Amino acid sequence: MNQLVYLIPLLPLIGFLINGLLRKSLSKSVIAIIGSGVILASFVISLVLFFQVKSSGGQIINYFNLINLDKLVIPFAFQIDQLSSLFLLIITGIGFLIHLYSAAYMHEETNEHYGRYFAYLNLFVFSMLLLVMGANYVIMFFGWEGVGLCSYLLIGFWFKNDNYNYAAKKAFIMNRIGDLGFLLAVFWMIAKIGTVNYTDVFAATSNFSSADITAITILLFIGAMGKSAQIPLYTWLPDAMAGPTPVSALIHAATMVTAGIYMITRSNILYSLSEVTQHLVAIVGLATALFAATIAIKQNDIKKVLAYSTVSQLGYMFLGLGVGAYTGAVFHVMTHAFFKALLFLGAGSVIHAMHHEQDMRKMGGLKKYLPITHITFLVGCIAISGIPPFSGFFSKDEILAAAYAKNPIYWGIGVATAALTAFYMFRLYATTFLGNFRGSHEQAHHLHESPSAMTIPLIVLAALSVVGGFFNVPEVLGGHSSLHQFLSPAITSEVVHEASHSTEYMLMGISVAVAVIAIVIAINKFSKKPELQDAQGFAKVLENKWYVDELYDNIIVKPLNSLGSFFKNIIERRGIDGMVNGVGKLVNYSARQLRLLQSGLVGGYILFMVLAIIVLIYVWINDNHILSFFYKYF
Amino acid sequence: MPERAELGVMNAIIFSALIGVVMMLGGIVIKSNAGIKLLAIILLFILLGSHLAEYYDLFNIHIQTHGMLAKSRFGMFFNTIIISLTLLYVLLSGDEIVKVGTYGAEYFALIFFSLCGATILSSYNNLLMLFLGVEIMTIPLFVLTSSEKKNLKSNEAGLKYFLMGSFSTGILLMGIALYYGGTGLFAIEASKAANEAQQAFRILLPLGLLFIFISLSFKVSAAPFHFWTPDVYDGAPSVFTSFMATIVKTAGFIAFIKLFELRSVDMGYSWKILLPLIIILTLLAGNITAVFQQSVKRMLAYSSIAHAGFMLFALYNPNDFGKQGIMLYTVAYSLATIGTFAVLTKMKDYTYEGYNGLAKTKPVLAATNTIFILSLAGIPLTAGFFAKYYMLASALKESTSNLWLVIVAVLFAAVSVYYYFRVIQAMYFKDGNAETTEIKPFFKTLLIIIAALIIVIGLMPSLLLDLFYA
Amino acid sequence: MSNILSVLLQATNTADNYFPIGIQLIFAAGFVATMIAVSALLGPKRKTKEKLENFTSGIESHGDARQPVAIKYFLVAILFVLFDVEVIFFYPYAVNFRELGWEGFMAVLMFVAFFLIGFIYIIKKGALNWED
Repeated sequence: MNQLVYLIPLLPLIGFLINGLLRKSLSKSVIAIIGSGVILASFVISLVLFFQVKSSGGQIINYFNLINLDKLVIPFAFQIDQLSSLFLLIITGIGFLIHLYSAAYMHEETNEHYGRYFAYLNLFVFSMLLLVMGANYVIMFFGWEGVGLCSYLLIGFWFKNDNYNYAAKKAFIMNRIGDLGFLLAVFWMIAKIGTVNYTDVFAATSNFSSADITAITILLFIGAMGKSAQIPLYTWLPDAMAGPTPVSALIHAATMVTAGIYMITRSNILYSLSEVTQHLVAIVGLATALFAATIAIKQNDIKKVLAYSTVSQLGYMFLGLGVGAYTGAVFHVMTHAFFKALLFLGAGSVIHAMHHEQDMRKMGGLKKYLPITHITFLVGCIAISGIPPFSGFFSKDEILAAAYAKNPIYWGIGVATAALTAFYMFRLYATTFLGNFRGSHEQAHHLHESPSAMTIPLIVLAALSVVGGFFNVPEVLGGHSSLHQFLSPAITSEVVHEASHSTEYMLMGISVAVAVIAIVIAINKFSKKPELQDAQGFAKVLENKWYVDELYDNIIVKPLNSLGSFFKNIIERRGIDGMVNGVGKLVNYSARQLRLLQSGLVGGYILFMVLAIIVLIYVWINDNHILSFFYKYF
Repeated sequence: MPERAELGVMNAIIFSALIGVVMMLGGIVIKSNAGIKLLAIILLFILLGSHLAEYYDLFNIHIQTHGMLAKSRFGMFFNTIIISLTLLYVLLSGDEIVKVGTYGAEYFALIFFSLCGATILSSYNNLLMLFLGVEIMTIPLFVLTSSEKKNLKSNEAGLKYFLMGSFSTGILLMGIALYYGGTGLFAIEASKAANEAQQAFRILLPLGLLFIFISLSFKVSAAPFHFWTPDVYDGAPSVFTSFMATIVKTAGFIAFIKLFELRSVDMGYSWKILLPLIIILTLLAGNITAVFQQSVKRMLAYSSIAHAGFMLFALYNPNDFGKQGIMLYTVAYSLATIGTFAVLTKMKDYTYEGYNGLAKTKPVLAATNTIFILSLAGIPLTAGFFAKYYMLASALKESTSNLWLVIVAVLFAAVSVYYYFRVIQAMYFKDGNAETTEIKPFFKTLLIIIAALIIVIGLMPSLLLDLFYA
Repeated sequence: MSNILSVLLQATNTADNYFPIGIQLIFAAGFVATMIAVSALLGPKRKTKEKLENFTSGIESHGDARQPVAIKYFLVAILFVLFDVEVIFFYPYAVNFRELGWEGFMAVLMFVAFFLIGFIYIIKKGALNWED
């Protein structure tokens, strides 16, 4: 099986090449089959690989040396272990479902754009696989950049809309800020220990001073902030909803945004050595979770709610990482991938039915028009709200338990966020599916359930959202923490928290109770009379996302812009251009003057030559004086 | 191959003179243009063969030259290059040569005679031979320049060339006389005894060298003795301009470098001022004036002045490195110039506007011409880049204090990009209907071969330089 | 190489020897200049139309002295000069005839042969045909 490992990323790459190059000549069905087929094949290989890893452990496969310098050798190698094989499954599995879904969802596009879409999507999967399979930080960085690029391309997929292009640019730039941190961390490692291989780096931690480790982990975390949309680099993710909805599901919910969590989990040995960074990660994660949840309450765009929810859930995961519950974080990545992909795809189904209407104030009562979507969406909402025995409960509980062990305040804020989560999710659910339909007649007329290519992924994901939690049932509930055990070779720095069973029961009880109360309030409040007016007062602040975008605009973008226009108008135009054009003008001017020497008269020419000879002889006679003059002054 | 001072490169000299005579008489017998061209090509192959036979010590005519000619690997290799280039030139432009006027055979004969002068210049060891070589090389050019009898410009150019050429020849003779006065010898490799015997008039030696220096500067069109170049190159029929700007000019440099190799010491320190002075003036006059030209042909004339400025850098290091460099430059510059002039001769309009839209009407011509132009501009991946590189490096090898001069040269090279790229711009980015005369597939094939050679040398200059040492 | 002239003079060390020559040169030039100047200053000037005409021994002048001559004339003339010079080369050969022996004879034969080829060439080219 190891011989086939390279096929996992290679197949999507081939798919990308075929779909990208032949997009004009292939028919839509062929494109869809190629695009989804390669992912399915990768998934099958990943599945086999997963069981192999489960039975016989992981290994590193070296292919060739990517960079081979005197002291620095960076191999092109894949590290297949418990952690990466789990991520492989998530990426290829959910990736396949979303490809399948896209085949129907994107069907209105022309052939060329359809092919382009699948090419981008395949390229994304390739990059993401590279990211998780790489055996060193450089390969990971390749994937890291690749997914950033694909994210940019897909957000701006409908590039005729300028706003979408701005959103794509915003995502790219925010990510670049984070990438700089990542890159600096890699350089730091190379400078200090001259290697970037995970195994070598983790084995050589004693060669780092504690300041080095703190610096490297913080820099890596900055990278993760960008990619995983944490404060302060989160604002791109809601805007990224400009892309097609399946893209939001795959890239901006299930996979790419969890790259930061993967990276920190991968580096858990480093992170566990730096108390400072761990606190930072936990606090940033928690703040993001709460902050995004408050914003989500007042959003009216169905995808925006889900986007902020994603940011919030990512914050949860970072909280888990910060308190040392690496398995919990990975577990939450997995369950979140299930239910958030489900929710996005469900939202996509709604949007599809509503003819690209995303404002949920114009929906309502969709329950009877979209039965499958409704049921699966409801499952997703319950799962994310953390109601047992749905998957979200188990993963969230694990993180909250670890947070409680670290600091009860973390736990308290976490539970509050969970309540908010339940509240805004059911606000979304109630406003969309319950009550009466508020859209136009035409929309009402066309309301229909989506085709099976779209509903099947929904059903599969709904099933996974229900049962996903059972992969890691904690001992307190009679489980074996099987994910825990599975991942333990890869995650060696897990903080094991010991709490009495009664405490754990109490914690679970409180979080579930709070969530249920929030759900009840939300359904009661919004199923009958949803908020249709623009918000007032504090709600308005929330609706406008705490004015963070405006804040960034004013303190970063605008000063930069004015600095830029200063450089452009004054330095560039007056100074540099002036100099450059001045040289050009000088050349032109002297050309015009020198040309006049070429009079065409032989007498003139010979006169010049004689004069030149005289000058040369003069120079020759006085060479000592001239040379000493030059030596004196130059 | 041992250096044998008493033997000159006789095969090339004798055969080039003889085939010139044969060509001349052939013109009486053969009337058709195609036949004349074929005869010229056959004769050139014979010349190349006889030269190679000597190169590989298979066959050569031994003649006692009393040390007036010296055989050197450098000279032999250079002869191989210029004979091959002439062959390429005749293959490419033979049709145009016979079309210039009614004396097709005579044009070829004159080219052979001129080639004879060039081969003498590559092996001279005596100032009299230098004089003979220069004259044998340039006098046919006076005729070739004015060969387009009905064209007033051509006649004017020929007369100007003749007048100014004889002026510079006078200076050359004056220099040789002073040199003789200073050393009592014509040989450039003077024996010690002879040197000491003439200590009293030794002061005349550097003055004589200065005059020879000035005269050779004229021949290679270095400023401020370049004034004849634009008028003559512009006035002469384009095919002959191509010959003059490449083979003849580089032969002048071979003469130059040989003299400098042996005698720069005698110039004292003054050449440290004179050489940079002349280089800068040449680069300035060539590059800057080329900017304002409207005719591509005239622009190329100025650019050939600019290239002379670059080739002068070889004089800084007239031993192996500079020689390698001048060799590479000869090949790179000549290939590109022959190519671009071959395209030029096919154009109906020599101005930049005449090239407008050539890429659409004649894509092969435009593409190959682009490569030639890139090479002339010294863009990497073409031979021209390494040629320039070797030239500048030879100045830096002599002394790093020449860095300022190298920087100046690079700046002028940047200026050159401006006027070169105007041609590319016209061909590719301007709308127009560039008209050409009829173009044969063979011509296109040759252009592609030349372009490929330029790229190959640009990628691996060592291929050529290894031949030099082989 | 500064003050090259003084070096030159010192080197020859016989500058005095040239002094009379210098004097003579100056005197000759000065004499000519003086005579022209004096005659121009002292001589009477009567500028009439007749006075300013070219002196043609009393015969009235007409037409331009620079009449165009047929180009063939120059061609023949230059070819004549060429072969004339060839003949001049025979003088030194004739003087050294014995010393140079057969080798010299062969060389001269080759020289003549080349000229003969040239002669054939010009005849064939019709350069000597006065009428065409």
